[in-house]
Amino acid sequence: MAGVSLRSIIKRYGALQVVHGIDLEVAEQEFVVLVGPSGCGKSTTLRMIAGLEDISEGELSIDGRFMNRVAPKDRDVAMVFQNYALYPHLNVADNMAFGLRIRRMPKDQIATTISETAEILGLTDYLDRRPADLSGGQRQRVAMGRAIVRHPKVFLFDEPLSNLDAKLRTQMRAEIKRLHNRLGVTSIYVTHDQVEAMTLADRIVVMNDGRIEQVGTPMELFNNPVNTFVAGFLGSPPMNQVKGVLTETGARIGGMDVSLNGAINGHAGRDVIVGIRPEHVMLEPGDATSSLPIELDLVEPLGSEALLHARFGQDNMVFKADTNGEIAHLSGVKQVHVPADLIKLFDAETGRALELGA
Amino acid sequence: MKRLSLIAGALATTMMASPVLADGHLRISEEPIELTIQMNHARYPIYEEDWPVEQVARELTGIHLINDTVGANMRTDENTGRTEALNLMLASGNIPDIVGSSRIRDFVNQYGPEGAFVPLNDLIAEHAPNIAAYYATRPDIEAAVKASDGQMYYIPYLPDGKYGRAYWIRTDWLDKLGLDMPETVEEYEAVLRAFKTQDPNGNGLADEVPFFARQWPEVVRLVTLWDGRAHGSDTYHDFMIEDGKIGHGYVGEGYREGIKNLARWYDEGLIDAEIFTRGSSARDFLLSENLGGSTHDWFASTSGYNRLSADIDGFEFKAFLPPASPSGRRIEEHRRILVKPDGWAIGFENEHVVETIKYFDFWFTEEGRRLANFGVEGMHYDMIDGKAIFKQEFLDAGPVNRSLYQVGAQLQGRGYFQDYNYEIQWSNEFALEGIALYDTMPDLLIPDFLGVAFNADEQKVYDRTWGTIRDYMLERQQSWILGNGDVEADWDGYIAQIKSMGWDELIGVMQSAYDRQYGG
Amino acid sequence: MVDQTSSPPKVRTDEALKTDRLTRTLDHFRREWQIYAMLLPTIIWFVVFLYKPMYGLQIAFKDYSIFRGVQGSPWIGLEHFQTLFANDSFIRAVRNTITISFYNLLFGFPAPIILALMFNEILHATYKRTAQTIVYLPHFISSVIIAGIVITAFSPTVGVINTVLGWLGMDSIYFLTQPEWFRPIFVGTGIWQEAGFGSIVFLAAIAGVNPSLYESAVVDGANRWQMMWKITIPSILPTILIMLIIRIGNVMEVSFELVILLYQPATYETADVVNTWVYRQGLQSGQYDLAAAAGLFNAVVAFVLVMTANTLSRRFSRTSLW
Repeated sequence: MAGVSLRSIIKRYGALQVVHGIDLEVAEQEFVVLVGPSGCGKSTTLRMIAGLEDISEGELSIDGRFMNRVAPKDRDVAMVFQNYALYPHLNVADNMAFGLRIRRMPKDQIATTISETAEILGLTDYLDRRPADLSGGQRQRVAMGRAIVRHPKVFLFDEPLSNLDAKLRTQMRAEIKRLHNRLGVTSIYVTHDQVEAMTLADRIVVMNDGRIEQVGTPMELFNNPVNTFVAGFLGSPPMNQVKGVLTETGARIGGMDVSLNGAINGHAGRDVIVGIRPEHVMLEPGDATSSLPIELDLVEPLGSEALLHARFGQDNMVFKADTNGEIAHLSGVKQVHVPADLIKLFDAETGRALELGA
Repeated sequence: MKRLSLIAGALATTMMASPVLADGHLRISEEPIELTIQMNHARYPIYEEDWPVEQVARELTGIHLINDTVGANMRTDENTGRTEALNLMLASGNIPDIVGSSRIRDFVNQYGPEGAFVPLNDLIAEHAPNIAAYYATRPDIEAAVKASDGQMYYIPYLPDGKYGRAYWIRTDWLDKLGLDMPETVEEYEAVLRAFKTQDPNGNGLADEVPFFARQWPEVVRLVTLWDGRAHGSDTYHDFMIEDGKIGHGYVGEGYREGIKNLARWYDEGLIDAEIFTRGSSARDFLLSENLGGSTHDWFASTSGYNRLSADIDGFEFKAFLPPASPSGRRIEEHRRILVKPDGWAIGFENEHVVETIKYFDFWFTEEGRRLANFGVEGMHYDMIDGKAIFKQEFLDAGPVNRSLYQVGAQLQGRGYFQDYNYEIQWSNEFALEGIALYDTMPDLLIPDFLGVAFNADEQKVYDRTWGTIRDYMLERQQSWILGNGDVEADWDGYIAQIKSMGWDELIGVMQSAYDRQYGG
Repeated sequence: MVDQTSSPPKVRTDEALKTDRLTRTLDHFRREWQIYAMLLPTIIWFVVFLYKPMYGLQIAFKDYSIFRGVQGSPWIGLEHFQTLFANDSFIRAVRNTITISFYNLLFGFPAPIILALMFNEILHATYKRTAQTIVYLPHFISSVIIAGIVITAFSPTVGVINTVLGWLGMDSIYFLTQPEWFRPIFVGTGIWQEAGFGSIVFLAAIAGVNPSLYESAVVDGANRWQMMWKITIPSILPTILIMLIIRIGNVMEVSFELVILLYQPATYETADVVNTWVYRQGLQSGQYDLAAAAGLFNAVVAFVLVMTANTLSRRFSRTSLW
């Protein structure tokens, strides 16, 4: 078991720089998820760790060993690909044994490893089938099996679930999590799906435009996004972001004053973005809440909760409210209440989070 | 058609001065008759209605030929002028009034009896006095033209002149090496060896090619130097006729002796090492590179290479008499054949059969023959002392044969009797000197096999056996010359193999066809 | 079938059913006529160039005369076939055809595959493009020129090959007149001429292989050689099999022009193939009926071979032409 360390990793294709200096320490046994919109450099970073892409600048070490110039096969990593990368002409057992045969593992040992892994993954009955005869979830499991049998120091996952339908994805997500708990192998997982990131990760790395925006546990990122990008990326639906101005007593948005927790300390008059998580609004006023008048647009029931799509001044906002089993009471909502301590402030120009003085 | 008549009229006015045109004794029809014609030949893919020769013939006879050629490939380099156009014409289901082509004999002899072409015997007898008169002097040629049913289906092109190919040698090399003109095969061999070993081109390399040929069967022709026979006519590997008996050179004792010696020559490097693959550019390449010593090739074209004396100091390539065989006999096996399988025929849908045969006969009149050979008087030649003499500017306007084709003369898809005088006028001095030399030996030439027309049963035997036998003969022939096998050792097996392939049956049908045709 | 779900079940007369079907067929054509219009050129091509000529095949069983036409020529049964098989040189030509084809298959078929695999291993783009262009070129040269090049290259006096032999102290060989050399030269020339161009289809197949298969293998520790054997070749195997079946279908079609241009009576023994035999014996002397019989024989042999190959391939590899 080993950690992975990235120091100032840069990737260039000719003159075009796509990854601008990544610093990341992945601890032993940790499950780290790289998440971000497509083109943010998360897959490139993963492929650099795997050795499929050269590192233009910076240092990569795995288990304390400098890895920049080490061939992929000698990095002791295993990778699971988005499209599974199964060999169509080999059956499940041969697919899983591929890497072991190449490493000249003794035959009987291969057989044991395969059958153990197949047992873990529930593939025992499918060992002599070809990939074409398997379902998407089974193929995904074979792909993971191929990584597991190698007993690598690090697992690398490149959007492994994106080809599956929603239901299967949830199921496989849980399976991956359980596997990680069971095997305890350091894992780096790339996805563009923030739900996967939130559910799987010990720590999430949010990336955008070739840079790391924020690293932290899922809850850290959820509660304290460092900027509007992270705030907008995590959470479902994402945080509402409304332009406003700081006043002596709080913030003014859409002609309404909201009170904040903390001292303005002479920042009054500064342009800010006020962030309100959909799940943080209340339908009834409480302690230290400010009320926002809204025009209700649409109510989307999700079961125990419902999404309220509403207009607030010039902005569209989404709120989450409990249904208590029915939604009739939601159709008449005219205003919502936000607790001062849950409101986030971001600098309007830089998008960075603003911390008010105590 | 109106346009053409106008042109013809205009031309006629300009020609009025010509005395021949005035009397009209050659006129076949007062009202102009239009006849369609298919004429395809390697050098003139279709019949051009504005050829001056056609215009004059039109004026003289009242017969207008209208081009109706199908299957011609207008790219003359791809148009072989052989049977493919004829086959296409036949397949199209429409046979024009007149069909002229090279290689027409087998074609009309097959499809004439089936009804595609009009039989000509009676027509010639009744309406073609000039053709009939010619055949009266040459019954052998009349026989050669006939199909197996005894009918003539085409009027042939009859070449004139005797000699075709001759033996040629670098006389300047002989002089250089102090050698005499070889008179016997032993002397010839010694000369060739000297060419190989004594560096006559003086470049310090033994790169001379003593004997070469554009067509590899010319090497086989050398068996005549040992009293063998190779090609019985101007068609390679053809049967031969000797005292009324059909035979073949490739089964003769002289051939065996000749091949044995040729294998020796080849092994010694006296014959071009690449004789079988060098191809048609051999003469051009080897002479202009100052490598070739001796060959067997046509008088007219080969003599022209003496122009190389401008580039190669002292270059002189002259004809010499065929070397005498060990038995003392000299023969020149190749000659201009008396009758070609080229000419023209009358299609079965022709509604003016009598006028057509009269038109064919026109080309055998004095005026018609001159027109076919020399072109138009006043335009291409002048009559001087009763002889047609080409105008100098016509002779100077590039290759004479090509110029003649371009005006519609010397068309071998037309049945006519060639006049060798046409060629003498532009043969160079080396050719004329060689011809004069060959003329000193009256027995040099031997009779050609003029071909036979098979009936259906004979044809089947021929088709079944000859192709296979010929392949086998050529295979062995090349192998022996190349030294892959010994002719002396293989000979009995060779003869036995040929017999087992149906040789006797083949010679039987050849002989019966010959007897029928030539009244053996 | 009549769609029963759209209308309530009721008893219909055959007449009504027929009208119904007709209307729906007409409707179908009215709606989809553009698609059929696009199909038309292909159908016309097949009919005019492939099916109509089949009518002419009957001359193989007739005493054919162009003047009498296909209809007017009398039937003679299998006489032409008897003529063919009674002829030793035809039998030899069949044997030569199969032998040359076998060599072509043995050496000529793997060549473009190997070439494609080699190209695939070239990483430098410019170098790869240049190399590909160079090997594609001979395909675009006419057989006549190719034959000229071969004759010159193998010439006993000025040929490159004999020059090299000379340096090695060996006697020069007049290759093109030696029966034992014809097949190697012919097959070699064919490979030189066509291997490059033939590699295109395999390169396309290789380009279609999922790149993550290779990445996965790289991570698993496979080297290039192992990837070629364990990924590339198995992945393009279906293409290889299809090409093989097609190739087997052309077994009787030895490149006729090239044989004509390169052979000599001295090499008939190994060089004479069915097509050249037919050309000499049949077409040159106007025996179209005999030529048709030989052609029909070729076609039947090819048909049987293709059927066999296809069936075997379908059974053992799930890949087949149809």
